Amino acid sequence: MTSLKQLLTAREMPVFIAILVVVIATGVAKPTFFSATGVIDILLGVSIVAILAIGQTFVIVMRHIDLSVGSLIGFTSFVIGDLYDKGYGTVGALAGALAIGLIVGAANGFLVAYMKLPSLVVTLGSLYIVRGIFSDYAFGRTVTAAMVPPEVSWIGLNRLFGIPYLFLIGLLLVAVSGVAMRRLRQGRDLYAIGSNPQAAELAGIPVARRVFGAFVINGAIAGLAGAVMLGRFSQANANSGLALELFVVAACVVGGVTIAGGSGSVWGAFLGAILLQSITRAIGALGIPQFWQQAFNGGLIILAIAFDKYLNSRVKTTTIMGSKDE
Amino acid sequence: MSRLSFSWDKGVALFLVLAVMWGTLVADNFANTSNLAFVLRDVTEFAIIALAMTFLIISGEIDLSVASTLNLASASTGFLFREGLPFEVAMVGGLLVGLACGLFNGFLVTKLGLPSLAVTIATLALYRGLSFALLGNQPVNQLPDFWISIGYGKIPGTFLPWSTIVLVILAAIAWFILHHTRFGRWTFAIGVNAEAAKFSGIPVQRTKMTLFAMTGLMSGVAGIVYTLRFASASPDGAVGFELSIIAATLFGGVSIAGGVGTIWGVLAAVFSLGVIRSALQLSGFSANSLLMVSGGLLLISVIAPRVTEALRNRKPAAAKTNTKKTLREVGNE
Repeated sequence: MTSLKQLLTAREMPVFIAILVVVIATGVAKPTFFSATGVIDILLGVSIVAILAIGQTFVIVMRHIDLSVGSLIGFTSFVIGDLYDKGYGTVGALAGALAIGLIVGAANGFLVAYMKLPSLVVTLGSLYIVRGIFSDYAFGRTVTAAMVPPEVSWIGLNRLFGIPYLFLIGLLLVAVSGVAMRRLRQGRDLYAIGSNPQAAELAGIPVARRVFGAFVINGAIAGLAGAVMLGRFSQANANSGLALELFVVAACVVGGVTIAGGSGSVWGAFLGAILLQSITRAIGALGIPQFWQQAFNGGLIILAIAFDKYLNSRVKTTTIMGSKDE
Repeated sequence: MSRLSFSWDKGVALFLVLAVMWGTLVADNFANTSNLAFVLRDVTEFAIIALAMTFLIISGEIDLSVASTLNLASASTGFLFREGLPFEVAMVGGLLVGLACGLFNGFLVTKLGLPSLAVTIATLALYRGLSFALLGNQPVNQLPDFWISIGYGKIPGTFLPWSTIVLVILAAIAWFILHHTRFGRWTFAIGVNAEAAKFSGIPVQRTKMTLFAMTGLMSGVAGIVYTLRFASASPDGAVGFELSIIAATLFGGVSIAGGVGTIWGVLAAVFSLGVIRSALQLSGFSANSLLMVSGGLLLISVIAPRVTEALRNRKPAAAKTNTKKTLREVGNE
């Protein structure tokens, strides 16, 4: 019983172990993987998806989904460069990105929470609308390295004790939101809503307000993450962030944030993103043709869902006397 | 609910007529047979997959791997042909690969009980990766002349591409099965309430398995049409089609909550989007406007029924959570 409990409470553990196995195995097979930029590349490469996966977790835990984040992060990464170039300053540019994130998040949240529309359809709609507005705004233009605010490119290029600042931003965000999800009542409410929306409503949880709030927070995170994307790539164009949304959802799923809602953590999603990225880099380092990367990722996601299913079926049969979540 | 969705279908059909009229007005080169043939060619793969997607979403499931399946079928056809098989055999191979993709999705969803949204995000990556693994970075281009002419050519005596025949036949079959057979009624029943369907003796899992297999097969057919249209099989074709197809299906009046939808509503939606795209391009608008129009129509398609409902009832609707977890969310209507 205790061992089962441990297994259940640490859904993130297998993901973490898998990352270690992948990294160490690759390092043993190809020692340059450690010495060269291999591991650092993982941290740098993962930061965008990892940050988006944190925001997405708030939404998926409540049995919803937000597909608009790819369009949104692309748009704000372009806007930050564009506003800075037009003389609004770094703060002005970031404020613009945050505002866009909040507006899109609030629009999604309003339609889903208060008009009770299905989030898949709503955010699929806003995926297209934001991408359309973005493409129109960015028509034929490119944000070049010279247009990136110096603070943003500094954060994108520099490291603290060898760890890229972009990754540290993600780490800080996951630490803060991890505590919020576990300790704050609002955070606990999200799990209650995801487990059973009707019961949560009857239990007096302001369901609509929480759903709205989660979409707004996710929008704000994706909006500001535009800066991370711009810092990472030092350029942006109308295709920035294209098709990122399903990759973000995949990271959450691999990390144990179940699509059916009610379980998973931001740490899991964060680790899920790192695992997917580690495999990509390992494949590159080991000289396996890059084509296999997506096939591996796909197989990994299936494994993760099947594992969650297995855990869930055990929960149902074993915890009959108490509904202990996680 | 069914009366409402019926009027939405009518709305989409009317919308198609308006879109055609609008296109004729704003774009000089719109209303001629060569452009009509272009639009038809452009939407055929979408339409073929949307037919199957209609069934699947009505039953309360979803398939995000359709574009990758399309491409894997195309890549397999190219691969088999490159390995020396006759092209006709290679095409059958491509179709079988499509079917196998669908069966694998169906297996994961119905036998292992995994959520289709997550499963098909996984197989989206998996099938795409396999396309690359099969073809490497080399597209297969030297297809037999006869089949290239089928891909380019018109049905003799008309302006219609050959693929239109395929679409018409498949659409007729899909329409008949969905609206006039027991299997079609099962599909609706499962989407409305899977638990109730099970207790009334409907083989829920087997039906869903069939639907996934059918979606894979239709994606395979679309893959063949796609290969012939471009006279090429490449590993990176049709990227991102999945969300466009789902958007068109939902715009056509299929409810993401399951249990509601018609074949002709979806076809009208697919054609409307094709017509609008063509009219926008011909009248000098950028492709971006189409993105905004698609997104806007999608939102309207979910908001409009809700508003009409509210106006009709004039009393607060019971709080409903409209997610696609029909198996878990039974009885929320």
